[in-house]
Amino acid sequence: MPAFSSEERQLLNDSLRDLLADKYTFEHFKKLARAEDGDGFGRADWATYAEMGWLGVALPESAGGAGGGATELGIVMAGAGRFLLLEPLLGTIVLGASAIEKAGTPDQQILLGDIAEGKLTLAFCHYEPDSGYARDYVRTVARRDGDGYVIDGSKAHTIAAHAVDALVVSARLGSETGPVALFLVPRTSAGIKLSAAPALDGRRGAAVTLAGVRVPASAKLGNGDADLLRTISTILDRGAIAVCAEAVGAMAAVTQITVDYLKTRKQFGQLLSQFQVLQHRLVDMSVTTEEARALVHAALQALDDDDPQARQAVWKAKIKTAQCARFVGGQAIQLHGGMGMTDELIVGHYYKRLVLCETLLGDGEWYLKQLAAEVV
Amino acid sequence: MFIRSVERDTSLDAFRAEVRDFCERELPPEVRRKQALGQHLERHEYDAWLKRLGTKGWITGKWPKEHGGLGWSPAQTLAFNEELGRAGAPAVVPFGVNMAGPVIYTFGTEEQKRTYLPGVIKNDTWWCQGYSEPGAGSDLAALKTKAVRDGGHYVVNGQKIWTSLAHWADWMFCLVRTDDGGKKQEGISFVLIDMKTPGITVRPIIAITMSHHLNEVFFDDVRVPVENLIGQEGKGWTYAKFLLANERVGNVEISRLEHALDALRRLLAETREGGKPLADDPLWRRKVAEHEVGLATVKALMADQLAATAEEGGAPTLMGAAALKLRGTELQQAIHQSNMEVLGRYGQVYQTEALHGGWNGELIGPADTTGLVYEHLYRRAATIYGGSSEVQKNIIAKGALGL
Repeated sequence: MPAFSSEERQLLNDSLRDLLADKYTFEHFKKLARAEDGDGFGRADWATYAEMGWLGVALPESAGGAGGGATELGIVMAGAGRFLLLEPLLGTIVLGASAIEKAGTPDQQILLGDIAEGKLTLAFCHYEPDSGYARDYVRTVARRDGDGYVIDGSKAHTIAAHAVDALVVSARLGSETGPVALFLVPRTSAGIKLSAAPALDGRRGAAVTLAGVRVPASAKLGNGDADLLRTISTILDRGAIAVCAEAVGAMAAVTQITVDYLKTRKQFGQLLSQFQVLQHRLVDMSVTTEEARALVHAALQALDDDDPQARQAVWKAKIKTAQCARFVGGQAIQLHGGMGMTDELIVGHYYKRLVLCETLLGDGEWYLKQLAAEVV
Repeated sequence: MFIRSVERDTSLDAFRAEVRDFCERELPPEVRRKQALGQHLERHEYDAWLKRLGTKGWITGKWPKEHGGLGWSPAQTLAFNEELGRAGAPAVVPFGVNMAGPVIYTFGTEEQKRTYLPGVIKNDTWWCQGYSEPGAGSDLAALKTKAVRDGGHYVVNGQKIWTSLAHWADWMFCLVRTDDGGKKQEGISFVLIDMKTPGITVRPIIAITMSHHLNEVFFDDVRVPVENLIGQEGKGWTYAKFLLANERVGNVEISRLEHALDALRRLLAETREGGKPLADDPLWRRKVAEHEVGLATVKALMADQLAATAEEGGAPTLMGAAALKLRGTELQQAIHQSNMEVLGRYGQVYQTEALHGGWNGELIGPADTTGLVYEHLYRRAATIYGGSSEVQKNIIAKGALGL
């Protein structure tokens, strides 16, 4: 049985829409993203999300969460896409929380409560400079040292890694051939070098170099030294579908903005919305968004149902959503003409967010290859 | 079908070598370095290079000899642009050589040719294009910027938009309305405006690239001497269309396409997935091959277009230019899309400080990442500028298919 009824989901969706429409305006977005002295996201906004229960929406009730599933998380992420939220939702409430939940000891699960309360932000640092999107390529190593570990390695650019409280770092135990474990490493640990850089969509992040980073044994998620690659893959799938949900929110918003614009812009003596070729293009944007929404919903549902096909459902959704995001984002600019090329309009910002959604945690081509290996 | 008989031109090898040697010797190292990183050049950096090209007459090599050009064949022009691209030199800035110049030597007076052409040939003057207005984009002929005759002057009032490099330009070629009586295409005139004239305000537009390249230009009682009118008053639309055909052929820059595809090959060699270069992946190799087919197609369309142009007396037609522009810009976006797909593996970072020289921060990903992301973003406009793809299709529908 789903954790939330349809009515409860509607309420969650509406609370996101109403509050963010009021508070997370385009002006607010730009101010946060471009502040010289800030993190590039809103600490006060984060506190509000905690208050609204959004951060804990998919966390167990025992941890102060609402006990929702992937679908509820998807609703929050769609809101993030619709309003171009800059806060570290993916790393914290999706990937980070999922890592703690799936790999952590009962003691470590207590941290989930901190996430729900907005007191702990996380970045999931798994990919490496030479891994590409491959999930099993880990060269970072954690060597046992006294009663702790010493971690060495490099992690690829990760959104929000520059400013979160802790990094969830994957590393092989003992040597480059050892089993893969996950460590919770405070961002300010000695030996961590953060190379900060903004992503295309204005969200900030950092590539991470770990040189002799010393952590206590308790920093390792879970007991024992079992290889966590399968768990990591499950976590990344959950992240992938969250990114898809975000893309769907952004696509729906920018399609509506484009429809509205064509109803006001006149050329050749008539509204652009009266040209059949442009009407059809808008229809394609709308249907494309709807295709992605339906497929993402199906994948979320499969995850919540523990469907054995859930993994492939997520991959299919990521493939389709990547294609849809490219089309919808591109056409939103095209139909706005020169105006779509300006920083002043929100359209270009949706385009950029959709580029990120297309590629974060693996692009459509990569998932297509994974799927092909299983269905042919 | 395959009728046109064009002689294979083997005489260009020496010319190509000459261009290569010249670039090797004369391209300023700083310009070369910035080009390799995809960084923005300042006007003085362009000038340092273009003035050297100007001493050879190569900027305007494709112009007819009687107008100060070298009378290059289409093949030689293509060869020149290819060699520039391969040498890592910046593409020639088009506003004077492809747009203003040909209109002036085709429709201008002897006095106008004497006054304006040498500045283009030597790169002493920079031009900008006063075409689009807030209410006149796809529907260019709806333009409203007004020019009213007052003695020996036109008094110009109104606004232009999307004016590339207006902040650097010395002169603007500008479409103005001198009569709003009849059909909107009638009553348009083509004038040359000195950008230093009082009453002109240039205001920057920041693009999605986060850079300043585009501008708004405002005219407030700007007095333009009547002798700056090109051709006849009210016939400006004819000259405007002539220029647009040239512009659209120029929108397809083969050297840029090759440069972007070379970048893809390099990115694939440099980027690893699961520890192995992406270049080893048959799917990526296939994608490069597909782009090669696209490039061969666009080159063939271009060669055909240029040959037809030569036969018909030097000017491309709107119709011929439309198909070329359509496919050329689509290919450009597709190649940049592939580049972005590779760069996704580095987190899709965009370090805009790296677009300018003198920044010593730490770069993430391949050295020219920022330049490639910039190009990807900027070329979203390729299917918009010079007349959107939708407009090009209308031209073909009407002109070629008689619809």
